Amino acid sequence: MGLGLLASRAIRPFNSSSGSRFLLRTIVSKPELQSPESSAAAADASPEPDLPPRTPVGGARVHFTNPEDAIEVFVDGYPVKIPKGMTVLQACEVAGVDIPRFCYHSRLSIAGNCRMCLVEVEKSPKPVASCAMPALPGMKIKTDTPVAKKAREGVMEFLLMNHPLDCPICDQGGECDLQDQSMAFGSDRGRFTEMKRSVVDKNLGPLVKTVMTRCIQCTRCVRFASEVAGVQDLGILGRGSGEEIGTYVEKLMTSELSGNVIDICPVGALTSKPFAFKARNWELKGTETIDVTDAVGSNIRIDSRGPEVMRILPRLNEDINEEWISDKTRFCYDGLKRQRLNDPMIRGADGRFKVVSWRDALAIVAEVAHQVKPEVIVGIAGKLSDAESMMALKDFLNRMGSNNVWCEGTGTQPNADLRSGYIMNTSISGLEKADVFLLVGTQPRVEAAMVNARINKTVRANNAKVGYIGPVTDFNYDCQHLGTGPNTLMEIAEGHHPFFSAISNAKNPVIIVGAGVFEREDKDAIFSVVETIAKKGNVVRPDWNGLNVLLLNAAQAAALDLGLVPESSNSIESAKFVYLMGADDVNLDKLPDDAFIVYQGHHGDRGVYRANVILPASAFSEKEGTYENTEGCAQQTLPAVPTVGDARDDWKTIRALSEVAGVRLPYDTLGGIRSRMRTVAPNLLQVDEREPATFGHSLKPEVAQKLNPAPFKSAVENFYMTDAITRASKIMAQCSASLLKK
Amino acid sequence: MSFTLRSVKVPPNSVNLEEARSRMFEFFRLACRSIPSIIDIYNLDEVVTKSQLRTTIAAQIRKNSQVTNPKVIDMLLFKGMEELNNILEHAKQRHHMIGQYVTGQHGLVQDLDSKDKGMSDFLKNFYKTNYF
Ligand code: SF4
Ligand code: FES
Repeated sequence: MGLGLLASRAIRPFNSSSGSRFLLRTIVSKPELQSPESSAAAADASPEPDLPPRTPVGGARVHFTNPEDAIEVFVDGYPVKIPKGMTVLQACEVAGVDIPRFCYHSRLSIAGNCRMCLVEVEKSPKPVASCAMPALPGMKIKTDTPVAKKAREGVMEFLLMNHPLDCPICDQGGECDLQDQSMAFGSDRGRFTEMKRSVVDKNLGPLVKTVMTRCIQCTRCVRFASEVAGVQDLGILGRGSGEEIGTYVEKLMTSELSGNVIDICPVGALTSKPFAFKARNWELKGTETIDVTDAVGSNIRIDSRGPEVMRILPRLNEDINEEWISDKTRFCYDGLKRQRLNDPMIRGADGRFKVVSWRDALAIVAEVAHQVKPEVIVGIAGKLSDAESMMALKDFLNRMGSNNVWCEGTGTQPNADLRSGYIMNTSISGLEKADVFLLVGTQPRVEAAMVNARINKTVRANNAKVGYIGPVTDFNYDCQHLGTGPNTLMEIAEGHHPFFSAISNAKNPVIIVGAGVFEREDKDAIFSVVETIAKKGNVVRPDWNGLNVLLLNAAQAAALDLGLVPESSNSIESAKFVYLMGADDVNLDKLPDDAFIVYQGHHGDRGVYRANVILPASAFSEKEGTYENTEGCAQQTLPAVPTVGDARDDWKTIRALSEVAGVRLPYDTLGGIRSRMRTVAPNLLQVDEREPATFGHSLKPEVAQKLNPAPFKSAVENFYMTDAITRASKIMAQCSASLLKK
Repeated sequence: MSFTLRSVKVPPNSVNLEEARSRMFEFFRLACRSIPSIIDIYNLDEVVTKSQLRTTIAAQIRKNSQVTNPKVIDMLLFKGMEELNNILEHAKQRHHMIGQYVTGQHGLVQDLDSKDKGMSDFLKNFYKTNYF
């Protein structure tokens, strides 16, 4: 419409004054851009200045697989060596020149439709779109010439023609690529007087807010949905100025990664619905920390304003989450403000909780703990516990004379002796090398969305084959359903199953066993069958360890590293004193009725229902703690906001309780507790480094357990609500209501 | 509004420690003499006794017992005088008085226990706050 109007204006006979002013207005804003060719010639005539070496943009690094493949190009006269096959834009990045762009994204395929990245290349008749143009040896690229500048200015003008001027009410304002680039490269005046086009907003569900009039049709979101998220929900409809992004039919975006389109959308067309109009990004304080809603340990940034978490954004970590995070990670934060426990409480005789002081609460807990026999004391760490507090809990219980301490989700008899038996030995980024996947009793899409995104990437990149054993589920890549129970596993182990040949013929086969298997009675038998497959299929070799366990909770790996293993498997049945450190998902049905339960945690969730004493604790956004993810990489959270009410950090509570109970723990600081951890699991102090397991599976003793043919169950029923924080979150409740309904 | 205490004026500096010391006692007596009217002004008789207030004043003075520089004592004296004057002028409100001189820094609930004696610093801090 815009173009048409412009054209009709041009041919319409103008009436005197206004028309002549229109004609007199210059086409470009700056005098030197009025005749770019001639001033380019003038620039050419001047001798090349001596350029100081530049630093690559954003620490971009080049990796030469083969030294012969290196070619040399000149960016603004500065020579750079790059591998063959790189695009002009990447070459410029290596040379330290940031090319403006909208549609290009390094993790998505190249579309080349925004034209913002135009640069001048010597001997080419027109400016070229650098993102789509492969660099050729000896190419002379000019990024700063009048031609390139005029091209950018022109593209910018076309983009702004139909872009609404609503920056003051746009949530992207302040972090908008269009805003920044129009300041840097755009014209300083507008020539557009017609109506702008408008587009109907689409409903993409409870997470992504759309203002489709703002869309500049870069198609990043479409490419993200189909390439990374693996759903074909988004697409482009119409042509020319009628082009629209949308779901083809009235449909929500059903992906567990949908929140990432908010980050990649360069304008404010796709923004966060829960964050809409809540804050401006420049008033927020960013804290770089770790996500705990699953066992992946995605790197996140918590943006807070005062005592409130306003939003959660991903942080780049190539080894773990690349630059994506799951919707649960991104949107669970409103759970941090609801249902919080803020004062120590004791259940009175009438069954109601009464607020008491810390002094009284600890005194009562210590007294009861001394009244029972040491064998009936039980401690359970929750799925969100940090390593420090689990260490303190274990030390405290041991000093009380009990050794019944474990972390929920690891089952009754976890195998904590061999580290290779419970971590992801291939590492998350290592999955990209695999060519066959066998998923046993796991659904990575809901258990660890970022691991699933890696598998999806691998399937897309090298056509890896995926077979899974377990309940029928919806994967977002091609896969084969092999069976539902351990019998299929047995068949593969015996070599009858066709998938066995796929494994044994593969170069880098990967087996992933879900942590849901830990809860089964016959888990040792299952693991030994899996190991048989691994042995026969050559899955574990000196140069490749493809036998993985995919854990479910943030605390699990560290708990097993620290040796949180119950002494007897039926300790719950005989327990008289139960210390729940944030454990909400343990099954307490078998607990005797007269048992005394202490719940230490941050949310009034399931664990509180039976508790006798509540000790409030701080959530992951409020404390410093170490978490180990499923691949064995220890990472630390940092406090972003202050604690709620009178809550205390988990380890501090246990340390204080130990003193009140007369078995004082010997550490007073985080440093002290970490040096204690060093003696148990030194790898937990190697922050941000993945510590591979040293011994292989071959050291395991033989098991004489019978395989139970019962089919595998899914470990996560509702992706959006898995722990105390996400269960308290309203957004997650909306998601499960609207996205999971069948 | 005129000063309630006529004697409040900036006195010449004390020449030596002796003089400063005697001024201090002078001030203490003055403060003690004004206690009944303070209790009257702020209705403090239901929360505190005269002797308790006297102890508080003495404690405030003793806090600086290590000071030997007459100039510093003069300065402290001046500040004390000003404070006393403010109090007598009713420039404060009842809760200021209660907060500063009756309950002190520890709050109303004196959650003290005989067991607290052997308590470690960690536990003491723990009861106060999460941030230490
Ligand atoms: S919605 Fe955003 S990401 Fe998608 S095409 Fe439009 S501008 Fe690009
Ligand atoms: S970034 Fe090159 S065309 Fe869009």
